[in-house]
Amino acid sequence: MYIHSLFLKQFRNYRHIHLNVENKVNVILGENAQGKTNLMEAIYVLAFAKSHRTSKDKELIEWDQDFARIEAELSRKNSTQNLEVIVSSKGKKTKINGLEQRKLSEFVGACNVVMFAPEDLNLVKGGPRIRRRFIDMELGQISAVYLHDLTNYQRVLKQRNQLLKDIFPVPDQEQEIMLEVLSDQLAQAAAKVIQKRFSFIDMLQSWAERIHSQITQTKEELALTYLPAAEVSEDMNLSKIEEKIKEKLGEDRNSEIRRGMTLSGPHRDELSLLINQKDVQTYGSQGQQRTAALSLKLAEIELIHDNIGEYPILLLDDVLSELDHHRQSHLLNTIQGKVQTFVTTTSVDSIEHDTLKQASTFYAKAGHVSQMK
Amino acid sequence: MQYPTPISKLIEGFMKLPGIGPKTASRLAFYVLDMKEDDVLDFAKSLVNAKRDLTYCSICHHITDTDPCIICEDKQRDQSVVCVVQDSKDVMAMEKMREYSGLYHVLHGAISPMDGIGPEDIKIPELIKRLQNDEIQEVIVATNPTIEGEATAMYISRLIKPTGIKVTRIAHGLPIGGDLEYADEVTLSKAIEGRREL
Repeated sequence: MYIHSLFLKQFRNYRHIHLNVENKVNVILGENAQGKTNLMEAIYVLAFAKSHRTSKDKELIEWDQDFARIEAELSRKNSTQNLEVIVSSKGKKTKINGLEQRKLSEFVGACNVVMFAPEDLNLVKGGPRIRRRFIDMELGQISAVYLHDLTNYQRVLKQRNQLLKDIFPVPDQEQEIMLEVLSDQLAQAAAKVIQKRFSFIDMLQSWAERIHSQITQTKEELALTYLPAAEVSEDMNLSKIEEKIKEKLGEDRNSEIRRGMTLSGPHRDELSLLINQKDVQTYGSQGQQRTAALSLKLAEIELIHDNIGEYPILLLDDVLSELDHHRQSHLLNTIQGKVQTFVTTTSVDSIEHDTLKQASTFYAKAGHVSQMK
Repeated sequence: MQYPTPISKLIEGFMKLPGIGPKTASRLAFYVLDMKEDDVLDFAKSLVNAKRDLTYCSICHHITDTDPCIICEDKQRDQSVVCVVQDSKDVMAMEKMREYSGLYHVLHGAISPMDGIGPEDIKIPELIKRLQNDEIQEVIVATNPTIEGEATAMYISRLIKPTGIKVTRIAHGLPIGGDLEYADEVTLSKAIEGRREL
């Protein structure tokens, strides 16, 4: 899939711009603080109906204005779609071909985007939260059912945490039953999330392993494992997983009441990354961590292609300069001719690659974007 | 420009209703000015009467103008089944079906710790008390298929199970008369989960 044209109104520092782009690599050049990343953010919002930088939608609106609008023409294999996101102080509206989408989950997935930004280099070295977020975002793009299961889980979790707080120090009879009810409900929701994460990590693993081996010229073997707190494993069926989670909740009951929160579950699980059987997070070098992050992102592109039959749009925000020459060319070779890509950078001088020579180049300056010949 | 006080008061009144913003409110207000005086009086009276004459049934807690309500009074109805719903509006929906001839119990809400609503804050204790005296053999839990509705259903079932009364939960899944291809993924996955053997 690829974007034909992008239209922004009162979005961040863009009062009003209209860009026509091609289905190839599009380079956005410009000094710092001119709005390069804002452009990437706009495309990201079209895919996820939220920003990767902020949870406050208001920040997307240009200063002193009351709404922001992002609109794009998207070409898919058999159709062209018009996507629109309108953010105002009253909330968000999303439209596909002019029809307002009642639920965000019906909009997310209309456009698939993979973003690789400097903070993604933390995917490996940062905390588990970053890796969980990675799983949720990517799995959510390809499975609306997962998104629903996850939202359900988070809702039950909130209810249960509130109950645990109310219970302290000892539950009365009513709260006792209510805790049992919410624990069962939580286990049910958690089992679905965990099962889907298992199979997602499996698919991701098969691509990431292959890609990582290519980048490192077969010197390194990357392995991904999903590590839930309860003693569950991949081969268990849903009711077995649920049962194990209930056991775990039963064991933790007293400490959960004492701490006033749910101590284990998908909101706390970890994704571990091993290179040649060693934990990359602890023992990996900077370079290895970067390569592993790159492998994950490239695996994600292939995975989306496997699942929806089309390549997603790739956003490379300021990362080309963070990668060494070898990894740069591996990345550019992979996307060449098949993935519409948007690259932001302050300069292309240091990057020698055919893909960039054939790219369209745009120049961003103070809220204006112009195409360079 | 400023509206004369009577009309701006009327607009304000309409705006207190759900789903009505300033534009619709002023349209309604100006419409009222053109109505016949008798009609306006009737309308005003029915507003006041609805508020003044309606109470909740002391047995099932459905809104009613007589206590007990006509459903609880109707001896033709099956006294052995009670359908538990969240809201009086749900009773209306069930009654439209004309297939159900049992009794009701209106909870007026669902359990939600986040909103500070516990089992005692909705009509659950009243339900349990009702089950002790009556000849009830089955409780159908028809709370909404939301997280809170499900939790409420599970809670009720836990309380009732030990008494030996049968507790059932309404099914959810595909709407009747709809095409499979138009159902969204989430509804479909629920329908698959709740499949039954033929």
